[in-house]
Amino acid sequence: MKLDNPSLKRVTPPTLNFFERTYLPQILGGLAITGKHIVSAALGKGAITVQYPEEQHVPSPNYRGVHRLNKDDQGRVRCVACMLCATACPAHCIDIVGATAPESWPDREKYCESFVIDELRCIYCGMCEEACPVEAIELTGFYDLTGLSREAMIFDKTKLLSVFDQTKDAEPMKFNAPPSGRSIDTTEITKTGAGPV
Amino acid sequence: MASIIINGQELALPEGEKLNAIQAAKRHGIEIPYYCWHPALSVVANCRMCEIEVGSKDPKTGEIKMIPKLVPGCQTPAKDGTVIVTDSPKVKEHQRLIMELLLANHPLDCPVCDQAGECGLQDYSYEYGQANHRFVEERTIKPKKDVSDLIQLNQDRCIMCTRCVRFTREITQTGELQVRQRGHHAEIDVFFDEPVDNPLAGNVVDICPVGALLDKDFLHTQRVWFLAKHDSICTRCSTGCNISAEENKGQLWRFKPRANPLVNDFWICDEGRYSYIHANDQHLLSSAYLKSGGNHTAVGVDAALKSVSQTLSLVASDGGKTIAILSPFLTVEEAYLFASYIKGLNSENVVALGPVPVEGEDKTIKPDMVNGRSGDTSFIVPRPFTIHAEKCPNRKGVSAVLEHFEGEVIDFAAAVARVESGEFAAVYLASDSIDPWDDEPIAKKLRAGAKHLFVQDVNVTPIAHIADVVIAGATFAEKAGCYVNADGRLQYSEAALPPRDGSLPDLDIFAILLGRMPAPVSSRDVLKELASVIPAFAVAASGKLPEFGVLIGDAETPAAAVGAGFQDAWTQHRGAQL
Repeated sequence: MKLDNPSLKRVTPPTLNFFERTYLPQILGGLAITGKHIVSAALGKGAITVQYPEEQHVPSPNYRGVHRLNKDDQGRVRCVACMLCATACPAHCIDIVGATAPESWPDREKYCESFVIDELRCIYCGMCEEACPVEAIELTGFYDLTGLSREAMIFDKTKLLSVFDQTKDAEPMKFNAPPSGRSIDTTEITKTGAGPV
Repeated sequence: MASIIINGQELALPEGEKLNAIQAAKRHGIEIPYYCWHPALSVVANCRMCEIEVGSKDPKTGEIKMIPKLVPGCQTPAKDGTVIVTDSPKVKEHQRLIMELLLANHPLDCPVCDQAGECGLQDYSYEYGQANHRFVEERTIKPKKDVSDLIQLNQDRCIMCTRCVRFTREITQTGELQVRQRGHHAEIDVFFDEPVDNPLAGNVVDICPVGALLDKDFLHTQRVWFLAKHDSICTRCSTGCNISAEENKGQLWRFKPRANPLVNDFWICDEGRYSYIHANDQHLLSSAYLKSGGNHTAVGVDAALKSVSQTLSLVASDGGKTIAILSPFLTVEEAYLFASYIKGLNSENVVALGPVPVEGEDKTIKPDMVNGRSGDTSFIVPRPFTIHAEKCPNRKGVSAVLEHFEGEVIDFAAAVARVESGEFAAVYLASDSIDPWDDEPIAKKLRAGAKHLFVQDVNVTPIAHIADVVIAGATFAEKAGCYVNADGRLQYSEAALPPRDGSLPDLDIFAILLGRMPAPVSSRDVLKELASVIPAFAVAASGKLPEFGVLIGDAETPAAAVGAGFQDAWTQHRGAQL
């Protein structure tokens, strides 16, 4: 997009008055929040630390933890090896080898022969999830990832699929749209107004 | 001076060239979208994408008269006084309409389509199309089929531009592809027992503006935006076709032609196209070897070069003679450094030409103005395409260097005969040939005739097994330098891959032997140097060659060029380089 694009909106920051320029209101506001937490923790309610590992922390639903590779209803990997996640990845931690899909998979022509994520190099930004056109890669709430060697932290396709098996009950797939491509229902496209080529 | 009026601006037309409105507008940076037009093929104007408003200016009164309807730009000659409008609301609405119609039945499978990233439909739908799809009827899904062992046709993605049909009719004149049925049901097809297997068949994949024709060799392996492109020269024969060597993850994935109107136009042959595979061979020489007590031991390249250099100096100081055999796979720069090194040791030393591989006869594909032409051909001058029998890139270049040092070109047979007679104490053979040079009887003759035998190659060959020192050189993809093709045209080829482990580019090897290292040598500096020394190469005195190469010596300029520098907009790189 060019800078002179008419749909761009220019925003100027609001001017601060003298009182605001001392930053005292912001500092006091921040201290008040800290104080509130101290008081409520001292009274024994609303403590926000947990006694890990005896007590397990449950992350919020949009937490970005270890990746998983989703399977479709026939147990096949959903990934079509379009490599858009590898393209979007700012850390270059995804390596995919694509191949022509077996004859017995009539609904697609390409699948991933190998799918490797270097979990140590990954910055857990979630761009891969956003880029995926078939909802094949997702970030789970699985956060306590440890390993004894660097090699053990490089997750291959089998491992990523097993993460799906472990987490699919606790975290169902975020979107249940059908995979795009030929099997897509055209009426669905017109309803949602989507369908860029 | 002739001028054309584009969008109200009066712009100059180039002299002595027959251009259509698309080309004339492009010269001034104005893009008219098109699919079916190609500068080497006849004009059929069936995609309707390039329609523009056309008119003419009366030279006397200056009055402009416009044609009431839109006219295809590919069919509009750019003459003095032609008026074209490419950005009016009428034209824009028409382009949007055409995009919508082309996409009505087009599948939404860009994520799995190999053309994505260099696709005319993607680019133009972004620039001229619309984001929503109004077609609610059931899409016609046409089958996927194989039109040859190497080419797949995805009929559902086809937009019926018929570029491929015209290519097989007009350029190769084999006519395997044709349109079957009509209108909505039209399909590209072949007769069941006549696949597209002519020597230039792979080009139909390159000229297809969408993902309908795909190369099965490249199918589903890489996304095109991951590939780094290097402007290179095909080394499979002495035509010297301009290619783009495309590499990712340390290996070559494909060759694509680059347009050079003086050499290969827009095409490359299949033999050259699939020769990239040799650079990915896992069994290439991966280390230098020294022979001690009948066995070869792997050593570092420095130890091997030290041994070569010490032996050759010793031979020279004892008054013995050395013969260097330079294969026609070496670049001009490598040949020059190698010959200067050998001649510098002892002026009695001899440099000779290595084995020149020849297979069959030259094959010329001659398109003409009459046969197979279907549409308007007035814009085109078809040029023949020759696949040479001489399967090496640089016989002429190496010969020119040898002629300078030796006064004549000693061919391989003569060199072998002189080695056999026991004239030389040492033989140094630099090969780098694509196919392994496996003439065992001659290898044995060379071994028997000389005390020392040094081999520099990329393949493990019979002569490497009996040599005293084996040095791993660079493949065609790993070396940068210039080649002289069969017409005497000097062209620069970029290196696409880094040197393999255990090997060094040949230019560096010779520079080390000459004692020029550790300062890195660049092929451009060497070219500059050799241009000042060898008169035949004087045209390259600046070290930089023009875009389409330059003729050396007294070679003749070939016939006029078509569509110089043309490249389809969708194959040009857009956005940031990785």
